[in-house]
Amino acid sequence: MSAYRTGTPLDRRRFLTTAALHGATVVGATALGAVDADAAFAAPIRPLDPAVAESAFAEGRITAINDDVLAVAGSYGDHSRVRVTGATSVWKARATTAADIETGDGLYARGVPLPDGTLAADAVWVNIVNLDATIRGIEKTRLHLAHGHHEIVGNLMAETTSAAYGTASPTADLSRLTIGQSAQVLGAWRPSDGSVDLVRVTVAPGAGRRR
Amino acid sequence: MACGSTKLWNGEATWFCCGSAWGPCASAGGGACGTCRSSALQAAWPNASKECWDITRPDLCGEDIPRRGCGSVMKVRHDCSGASVCVTVSDCGPRTRSFCSESTCCDGVCRTNRVIDLTPAAFSAIGSLSSGTLPVSIFE
Repeated sequence: MSAYRTGTPLDRRRFLTTAALHGATVVGATALGAVDADAAFAAPIRPLDPAVAESAFAEGRITAINDDVLAVAGSYGDHSRVRVTGATSVWKARATTAADIETGDGLYARGVPLPDGTLAADAVWVNIVNLDATIRGIEKTRLHLAHGHHEIVGNLMAETTSAAYGTASPTADLSRLTIGQSAQVLGAWRPSDGSVDLVRVTVAPGAGRRR
Repeated sequence: MACGSTKLWNGEATWFCCGSAWGPCASAGGGACGTCRSSALQAAWPNASKECWDITRPDLCGEDIPRRGCGSVMKVRHDCSGASVCVTVSDCGPRTRSFCSESTCCDGVCRTNRVIDLTPAAFSAIGSLSSGTLPVSIFE
């Protein structure tokens, strides 16, 4: 259904397929933009490679990990197998490797369907959430957030959590966050306790002067 | 309705989860239209209905966004790469008023104000989920 601009010489489909079928190890494949949040925010965003005529998508909870294949239980009772290769970019609160993926994690995966029924993942975002929330409380190590009718604990991570105040670049300075602000929260869900490790908290330009 | 080429609007695209889901989105539900799924190529539009408009209030950011209800089809194009995806309006959002004047830029192209919210499937078809926002043009 999607149409992509043509003209880039890299044949991503062939690259992924080769990596998946032959176990090639390629480090740092971020051609499709699945890098850490701050870098992605600051740098020109390069989305899905034009060489990929049509992408496939999978979501759900990881029920098993067999070598480089993730068994995924979808949210509607469906099942999929996601193949992670050396060419797959992995995000789990930061750009990382497949070694950080655990059974029980949630994921969104984008890639190319292979003849064996697996999805050769170009990018895997593990436990990623992007929530429309309201700041209800601020502590030294965490924020209390309201997401709809639910309360969520947001864990502040040293040297990782940043705040984005409108058009300014994300900063480690969280001092302008205030209770009552609307905030977009990009982070990684912790299946063990339901909290969210905060990667970036975005509030409106002119924070503190709410409409 | 086809995924057309008539310019409708431009601005920032964000992403959200809906339908049955894992994590904090488990309670997201099917959205304003009752059909929203994170794994489908769908979107939330700030003027999906009068009730929706009263929540999102894009006019407070200077955006007089036209009404397009549940089932409307739009093409969302990443302004820098040209990558695009066709989506169906299945929910109300984003809450534009909460982020007035926010802009997202790439390659010198900037778009201001949140005007469409894409499901993970749709957003990831044209960009990285970890970026959070994208500058887009919208067609119908």
